[in-house]
Amino acid sequence: MNVEIKMLNEFTPSQLILVCGLPGTAYIGKLSVDYLIQQLKAELVGEVYSKYFPPFVVIREDGLVELLRNELHQFKDESGRTIVFLTGNSQAYSPEGQYEIADAVLEWAINNGVQRVYSIAAYITERPFEAPNVYCTTTTLALLEEAKAHGAQLLDNGVIGGENGIITGLAKKKNVEGACLLAETHGYQAPTGEYVIDPRAAKAALKVLTSMLNLKVDMEPMEKQVAQMDEAIAKLVEIERRIQKEMAVSGKKPAYVT
Amino acid sequence: MEKETWIERRGDAELIEPIAVVGSPGLRSIGKLVMGSLIAKTKATLIADLYSTHMPSIYQTKPSYAAHPMLPGSGGVIVKSGEADFPKVQFYACSTPSLIITKGYHANFEGQYEVAIKVLDFLAENHVRRIIVVAGYGSKDKKICGAATSKELVAEMKEKYNIDIGYSGPFMGFSGLVFGLSKRKGMEALCLFAGTEPKEDDLEFPDKEASDRALDKLHKILGFHE
Repeated sequence: MNVEIKMLNEFTPSQLILVCGLPGTAYIGKLSVDYLIQQLKAELVGEVYSKYFPPFVVIREDGLVELLRNELHQFKDESGRTIVFLTGNSQAYSPEGQYEIADAVLEWAINNGVQRVYSIAAYITERPFEAPNVYCTTTTLALLEEAKAHGAQLLDNGVIGGENGIITGLAKKKNVEGACLLAETHGYQAPTGEYVIDPRAAKAALKVLTSMLNLKVDMEPMEKQVAQMDEAIAKLVEIERRIQKEMAVSGKKPAYVT
Repeated sequence: MEKETWIERRGDAELIEPIAVVGSPGLRSIGKLVMGSLIAKTKATLIADLYSTHMPSIYQTKPSYAAHPMLPGSGGVIVKSGEADFPKVQFYACSTPSLIITKGYHANFEGQYEVAIKVLDFLAENHVRRIIVVAGYGSKDKKICGAATSKELVAEMKEKYNIDIGYSGPFMGFSGLVFGLSKRKGMEALCLFAGTEPKEDDLEFPDKEASDRALDKLHKILGFHE
């Protein structure tokens, strides 16, 4: 079982578009795609299993055991176009696994006549900003112009870590049109090392993506999430500032090592 | 070396639709202790060893749930009474009741799935339909709770053995994957989680008390009379 894509029902796509948002930095991709799945009431049509996911399972609150997996959710719009959202509770932990899973999903999409592949990722910056920029890299110059017309800026150099990036790179290799949207984030991490979710960045990415896809989505619930997160971050910043002040007074250095 | 994970047969036992019991050296050794006690009680004999090039060869070369100096288990070649052997998964069996007792081991990160799948293939080949996994979970409550592969089995645990669900969250490594992957191999599985708390001076002490509680529940499920 290197990678297994299990379709749950008959799948008959038309003018297929794939949108990937797997969990990564600040969970921007996952947050964005999960939001679209929820708002558009996209239906779960397939599951992706792999031995490359981290070796643990999840015990659910109802006592049932579940493997880590990626999921394919489909939304058919009024024009008959099928948009499939790829998300999940994990990415593969190794580069080999990330390549293999991204490749398997892309091959599946190609076999189903995919026309374009989008992915959403993070662009970590230390630049202070009011509203995050959304950068874009694409497989063709024409698509880049299109993305720019919808509010994205050119990503002229950099790296994109993880499957959300790899899938765009592989799309180019396979002559599939693809665009990766990267929303600016400060990439805050909790003391445990886990990324703090960044709904503000997700909102910015969604603005560009929904415009490119010509999708109408209610953004109010996301606005609320942004406000809640702003409040939480402000508290974190205040706590950090206080600790630093106390340490400066006592002359103590942080006890942790990095 | 072609074979990455392989099984070497050591013996036979007369088994009729055996139940598999699985545990590994995870949280405070609960699974491992229970398997040891069960093998002793049933006088089960060794029927097979599973080896894998994914077993840890040294400590902590990569992110891993593998053997660690502070945790039960060993990396590399294990020398016992002057003889060298590798880390391995062992299958013991007894006829009455018909059981395959699986002493698990944690492979390195990238090999955990492969080892778990191989274990399940072996159990399926030996006509196992039901698996009982035993493990620990961090809890102040010194009680046993359960999880399963189906709602029906969750209900059965409650009705027949008075085991409630209670733990939710990740279940790491060998036992978690054997549990989680069992359904795909056509088997059903339930898991007994024994609550355990660390001692301040010894965080990963082998928790005999918790393992005895799990063993007691396991005996009831298996129909042993004390």
